[in-house]
Amino acid sequence: MSFQATTMKISDLADNTGEWLRGTGPESDIVISSRIRLARNVARFPFLSRANVKQKKELEEIIRERIKDSDISQDLCYLNLADITPVDRLFLVERHLISREHAGGEGERGVAFGKSETVSLMVNEEDHLRIQVIRSGFELKEAWKTIDDIDNKLERKLNYAYSSRFGYLTACPTNVGTGMRASVMLHLPALGMTHHIEKVFTAVMKLGLVVRGLYGEGTQVSGDLYQISNQFTLGKSEVEIIEIIESVIPRITSYERMARKALVSESREQLEDRVWRSYGMLKVARLISSEEIMHLLSQVRMGVNLGIINDIEMKTLNELFILTLPGHLQKLEGRELNSTQRNIIRASYVRKRLEKIKSLKG
Amino acid sequence: MKCESCNKKHATVHLTEIVGTAKKERHLCEECAQSINTHLTKIPSPTEILTSLINQVAPEINEMSKIVCPVCGLSYLEFRSNGRLGCPMDYTIFRKGLIPLLEKMHSSTQHVGKVPSRAGKELIKKNELMQLRNELNKAVEKEDYERAAELRDKIYELSGDNDED
Repeated sequence: MSFQATTMKISDLADNTGEWLRGTGPESDIVISSRIRLARNVARFPFLSRANVKQKKELEEIIRERIKDSDISQDLCYLNLADITPVDRLFLVERHLISREHAGGEGERGVAFGKSETVSLMVNEEDHLRIQVIRSGFELKEAWKTIDDIDNKLERKLNYAYSSRFGYLTACPTNVGTGMRASVMLHLPALGMTHHIEKVFTAVMKLGLVVRGLYGEGTQVSGDLYQISNQFTLGKSEVEIIEIIESVIPRITSYERMARKALVSESREQLEDRVWRSYGMLKVARLISSEEIMHLLSQVRMGVNLGIINDIEMKTLNELFILTLPGHLQKLEGRELNSTQRNIIRASYVRKRLEKIKSLKG
Repeated sequence: MKCESCNKKHATVHLTEIVGTAKKERHLCEECAQSINTHLTKIPSPTEILTSLINQVAPEINEMSKIVCPVCGLSYLEFRSNGRLGCPMDYTIFRKGLIPLLEKMHSSTQHVGKVPSRAGKELIKKNELMQLRNELNKAVEKEDYERAAELRDKIYELSGDNDED
């Protein structure tokens, strides 16, 4: 087995997005995506914070070769992060193919990912190996099946650090045990507008779950996008953890739907005005910051869900959240851009995408 | 005022003793006061205050502070200051300190999830049994006796004749 021809250029990816943004799957009006990641380390090697340059290099080689030898490699291509530019790394972060820590890390490290971008394997991140599977909509169980299978295939080739007491041993004890973080990305504009979101957080935290922004730990919430994931990784099985999250999500989505309904019945005109103004802004503005576009897209997305706007596809909206991020704009233009330049290009890119819809319909 | 005890040095410690209803005042120099009643003059040093505070918050640190992993060279104190372990062996070396930490983070210290097939069939069976027992307890709590009976049978089946407990 071997990797796909690595002639793939990152710029080839820039004008579309991964499969997980297509806006399909259960509850996809509110649940954007379901993601699971597993943290694994190779036995008889130090964790990365204590590994020297030689050991890091050795680890990168061993893991890359074992992935290549495994049954999953034919669908994957591999990039060495030390060989690509900071803009390329930012681009991969925005697509959720690597983490911020992985992008900003040092030394030999890489990522293997599939063409559909549902699977990615980060080599030498915080742990030696982090496997990730993302799916569109509310499909944690499906994601678990896929990632469990990949993990089993790799386990035949790699000797993982494991103890019967503590499970999979990880660099940070917050991940030990299953090494699993399962998360669901939710779009909750109405709960935000009606100030009920805090209640959701409190309830969720009581169950041992945490709420984070779009790009995980320590990131700000924008575009009303929230990630809900498990805090604990030890003492419960992978399936038990997934079931806890699965039991909570439908309650949050129905709460969001109730809040939307209340907005429609109590202040229909104001709501429609907000949605149409946001849509209008996207169609005419000449400068849009990344913060503003998240807000505008969030309003329009809710408008589409509520049937206020009919001429734009969910997939297009989901994609615009990612395609208008700084790394993507710079990749699209093929050069580095400062923030004002990005704001101009962002606005013109969105205008073009939305004009296309009109002409297709027209 | 001279010290009542030695009558030489200046009295800097003034004590009021109450025995029954009688009140007795004593004026002593620091040395004499210390020899009479050591704990009265002992003021804890900042290090002592800190140590007692650490003992209250994280009692294992004091005891563990001298431990260094012979494999990766990480000390327990380094681990506590940056939160990252240095190698898989640290879980064994720092076990005593880690257990209360894991209890706080995960409300548990025992893995019950996936077992790599390399780790052996016995371990897989053990974990499966542990999970079934957890479920059994939950079923009993919920008074779902039908499910409990089902689980009990499964446990018997899996553990064979010699249940390890």
